[in-house]
Amino acid sequence: MLIELQGIHKTYDNGQPLHVLKGIDLSIDKGEFVSIMGASGSGKSTLLNILGILDNYDEGEYHIDGKLIKNLSEKEAAHYRNQMIGFVFQSFNLINFKTAIENVELPLFYQGVSRKERHDLAMNYLERFGLADWASHYPNEMSGGQKQRVAIARALITQPRILLADEPTGALDSKTSVEVMELLTRLNREEKVTIIVVTHESGVANCTDKIIHIKDGIIGETTINTEHHASVFGSETIMK
Amino acid sequence: MKDLFIEIWESLKRNKLRTTLTGFAVAWGIFMLIVLLGAGNGLMNAFMFNGRDFASNTMMIFGGYTTQPYDGLEQGRDISLNDKDIELSESHLFSNHIDDVTANITQGPYPMVWKNKSISVSLSGSYPKIAEMDKITIEEGRFINNIDMQQRRKTAVIASTHAKQLLNGGTDYAYFLGKHLKIGNSMYKIVGIYKAQDNMRNNDVYVPFTTMQMLTNNYNYEDHIIFTFHGLNTEQENEEFERQYRAVLNQSHRAAPNDDGAIWIWNRFTQNMQMNKGTSILSKALWIIGILTLLGGIVGVSNIMLITVKERTHEFGIRKAIGATPSSIMKLIVAESVTITALFGYIGMILGLVACEIMDATVGKSSLEMFGEKVSVFVDPTVGLDVAFGVTLVLIIAGTIAGLSPALKAARIRPIEALRNE
Repeated sequence: MLIELQGIHKTYDNGQPLHVLKGIDLSIDKGEFVSIMGASGSGKSTLLNILGILDNYDEGEYHIDGKLIKNLSEKEAAHYRNQMIGFVFQSFNLINFKTAIENVELPLFYQGVSRKERHDLAMNYLERFGLADWASHYPNEMSGGQKQRVAIARALITQPRILLADEPTGALDSKTSVEVMELLTRLNREEKVTIIVVTHESGVANCTDKIIHIKDGIIGETTINTEHHASVFGSETIMK
Repeated sequence: MKDLFIEIWESLKRNKLRTTLTGFAVAWGIFMLIVLLGAGNGLMNAFMFNGRDFASNTMMIFGGYTTQPYDGLEQGRDISLNDKDIELSESHLFSNHIDDVTANITQGPYPMVWKNKSISVSLSGSYPKIAEMDKITIEEGRFINNIDMQQRRKTAVIASTHAKQLLNGGTDYAYFLGKHLKIGNSMYKIVGIYKAQDNMRNNDVYVPFTTMQMLTNNYNYEDHIIFTFHGLNTEQENEEFERQYRAVLNQSHRAAPNDDGAIWIWNRFTQNMQMNKGTSILSKALWIIGILTLLGGIVGVSNIMLITVKERTHEFGIRKAIGATPSSIMKLIVAESVTITALFGYIGMILGLVACEIMDATVGKSSLEMFGEKVSVFVDPTVGLDVAFGVTLVLIIAGTIAGLSPALKAARIRPIEALRNE
């Protein structure tokens, strides 16, 4: 198993304690295309933060590729994030004053890759996503779909074990949403990238092969969705 | 390294006005520091310059008045130095420290007449040794010698300025060699012309000491004694020597050994020492004032870095999410702070150096007329390479300090919170 979560608990303590995750057990295998679905307040964002090593958990164990991710120092966490995880966010989170290619290069900069090498590699990724002409454009000169593709290129350039997508279509129109989901599907099919999508949109979840429902901090049912008929809305399009 | 500077350059470019205004305060601080140090150096150099013509290891002894009754004699007695004092000074009592002993009698002013020109001069009855002690440079002829002394010859050495005045501005000083000039009531044969000093020193006419004794009709009189010494390196050693010397001379004049008024001792060595102490205090004070001025600039930089960190919280969150370590974020902020400080600091330093050069070209070249003597107020009011290095060090340290607290703040940014605030 690539990802193993056992009895993960997380409590936020802002004035009064808020028990968000109440014992999460979850395993995801290499090459899977999974969505985590839940309403707001269900704990899915917290789970995503823990999966992405952006946040700590209180109890349980979390392994990536057999490596225990627990009580890491900031430096170690940064290192693991850089090596193992690629993030795609709802609001893209590109750095505005950097061009598309500079944004894509950035994770390699933190790996200490030389200028030339990372520039070539970043260009390579942009070409694959049809963005070669946009390499020297700034994010505010690009459409939402283009920005999200730049973000995906940035997430993949380090060849991470897991691609974590947090509401990747949340800021996109339905047509672009379909394109982005198709892109993710293709990456999973052709390059065997392990993808975890966190969403509250059933249409998005329907694009994935497995849907994990989370409710009130525990895993509900897990739907195998290889036929992509899980959602009432999701058979043909992504509902907006 | 190059990547770091590109990042910093981009960041500075985004906030041109803000960076410039902040940098101005730093540049101003360094400018003030350099100008202050330059002016201070000018002042100190002028001190040194005005005193450059004296051997520094000499003491001058003058007769004074007793300040206490002693040995049955009342206080307030006039003490005048005599040949016995010279003998005592040369004796084995002080041979550990005293080298050459000379004495002097200065009288005047007298009119010095050549043809129909007359100028007013003082006569300085001196030992030949004085030429060495006071660093007198002979331009023509010779200085007073021992034969002049023994034979009480009426020979005289005049200053180049005297010759120039008598020649109505001419420069053929050698013309006077061997000529007899009337000074006061006597005729003197001119044997030499020395280079006149244009600082705080009377340009006297030198005549043999013994001749002067003869003229004053007192063969046992010294106006003051001057001697060179060695082996007294600290203020305490000098004080101790002066105490012993005073005791011996006082005894010979039947004054109390500890009577500070009977003879006066003017020690050029300790005076120089005190002056050096003074200049080093001055220099320290200028550094402190300069650095305090700079502090205002540094606070400005620190402030602006805090604002930068606040503005870039979201960006730092993204960077951390994709693998930036806290230390790499810190490095970014500290380096930016050092860059602003150093960049504008150097602009300030260059302007300061230019200001020093301007100062050198204007006030540095002028001098004050004081009691008929030329006194330089500012000599070479500039700073050296050592100061430039010192300032570089100060700038780097200052920039680091300014950036440290904002950098720590940036390093502590938690990505989940940073990414949440859109």
